[in-house]
Parts: sequence; structure tokens; C-alpha cells
Amino acid sequence: MRRNVLSAAALACTAVLATAMPAFADDPSPVPDTTAAPADSGGQAAETDPSPVPAEPGAAEPTPAPAEEADGVTVVPRGAPDTGDAPVAAQSGGDGLLIGGGAAAVLAAGGAAVFVVRRRASGA
Amino acid sequence: MTPFSRRAVVAVAVACLTAGCGGDGGSAGDGPAVRESPGHRSPSAAGSPVSGPRPLARSVPVGLEIPAIGVDTPVVRLGLAPDRTVEVPPITADDPAGWYRYSPTPGRPGPSVILGHVTVGAHGDGVFRHLARLRRDDGITVRLENGAAAEFAVTSVRTVAKAGFPTEDVYGDTARPELRLITCGGPLEDGEYRDNVIVFAALRATAP
Repeated sequence: MRRNVLSAAALACTAVLATAMPAFADDPSPVPDTTAAPADSGGQAAETDPSPVPAEPGAAEPTPAPAEEADGVTVVPRGAPDTGDAPVAAQSGGDGLLIGGGAAAVLAAGGAAVFVVRRRASGA
Repeated sequence: MTPFSRRAVVAVAVACLTAGCGGDGGSAGDGPAVRESPGHRSPSAAGSPVSGPRPLARSVPVGLEIPAIGVDTPVVRLGLAPDRTVEVPPITADDPAGWYRYSPTPGRPGPSVILGHVTVGAHGDGVFRHLARLRRDDGITVRLENGAAAEFAVTSVRTVAKAGFPTEDVYGDTARPELRLITCGGPLEDGEYRDNVIVFAALRATAP
């Protein structure tokens, strides 16, 4: 009987201890805390680290140093300059279209007039 | 080893060390000048040591004269377009040339960059219509805001495809004052010029 009681008590204690283990495991919190702190700061660094990287090109754009105060090219532009507005030929092409269209209209009007005159002549 | 021979060995070692440092220092001192030439890789720089007239004080350009092709034009300032390409002068009847304000002022060490249109649409020819006709040693004079003038001599004229624009040759550092004139050229493709004409020039004289 006593054995049963003792074994039951031992079992209960074991169960209590087993359930309390996570709570005990929380005790050495200073260790994880201290490690957590650098981890957090590392996390912050990781957060701040990427931002300067993309920010650098972006930040360089609005504040280029004017070369009036420095020797050498301070900002190298991208690509090739577009220094030619070309449509001179295109404009003469447009004029040609206008002339051609006008000539066609005159020709059509003349043809219609001839057609009408001939019809009248044949009808008379 | 006697004290004398020890001193001799130490003296020789010190002499070797200082000689080595001196050699390095000399090469370091020469280094930039030597590196500059291949650095900018422009034809004008090939084999050209830093010499010639003294650089001018910083002052923005206000006028440009190229007698060989009849150019006498005011110069405006150009910056960067939103897409980070270089701005170009306005398209007007008497279009001016434009100085890229993130390049050195003419007469200062480095490549000063001036751009102009080859054609300006309905207005006809642009200020740099005949830039490709320039030849070696043709003179280019840039008037500065402070009254000084920088006279450059053409060293080479290149026509390059826009797709392969020689950014380093044009904008790369140079030890001496140089000038780049840029316009468009080559055949038209879909209403746009295929090439750029680039004139490389080096400072020949200054006034006053």
C-alpha cells in the first residue's frame, strides 16, 4: 500500500518536474537574452545594411556634385546623347504627300467633268 | 662579427630600404601620370605627357567658336535628364551648344564636354551640323564667363555607334585640360541617328 502511495507520489513529482522543465529552461534566460540582443542588433544591422545599398545609387542621383567646383567628371551620364532631331526628310515627305494628293484631286475632278460632258453630249 | 662590420651591415640594409622606398615613391609619383594615359584611352592622350599651357581658373563657358566649320554660338548649361542621360540643348532655330555641367569647366584638367545638335527638325541644320568635317589641329575656342578663353586643338574625330558609346573615352579622367564636342551622325534609322560624332581636343593656349 505504502509502496503504491510512494510510487504514486514519485510519479506525481516526476510529472510535476517534467511539466516544470520548460519553466526551468526559461531560467537561463540571461544567456539567450544576451545572445538575443546582438541577434536583434544584427537584425537591425541587417535591416539597415540593405537600405544603404539601394539607397546609394538613388541618393547619388539627386545630389551630384557640380563640376564647377571640382576637376574631372563628377557624374557620368547613362548612354549616348540624342543630339539630333531629324525629321527634315519626313517633313519634305509630308509636303510631297500634300502635293500628290492635290494633283490626284484635280485629276479626279477633271475626269468627272469629262464624264459629265460626254454623257450630256451622248444624251443630246 | 665585429662591431664595425655590424654597423656596416646595418648601414647597407638601411640604405637598401631607403632606396627601395625612394624607388616606390618615384613610381608612385609618376603613377598617376602614367595611369592617366591609358585611363582615358582617348586618341588625344596616347603618348601625351602632362604638358602644355597652364590650366585656367574655374569659370563656366559662355561662348564657342570653331572657325573651320563656321560655328560661333552661345553655350548653355546642361544637366542630367530624369533617365540619367545627359540633357541636350533646346531645339530652336538658332540652337546653342550646351556644356555638361558635371564635367570640368573648359581649361581645367579633365574632359570638358560640350554638346550640340546636328539637325533641329523643321528648323534645319543644327549648330554642330558639320562637326564631322573637323580635322586634326583645327582650332576650337571656348569663351568663359570670367573673360578668359581656352583654345583647343582637335586631336581626333570619331564616329561611333550609339549602341557602343565610348563612355570611358569621353568622360574618363585626363591629366590635362581636354575638350569633347558631341553630336549625332551616321544614317537615320526610324527617325533617329544611328551614330554619335565625337571630337577630341586638347588645350593649346589660353588667354588672357
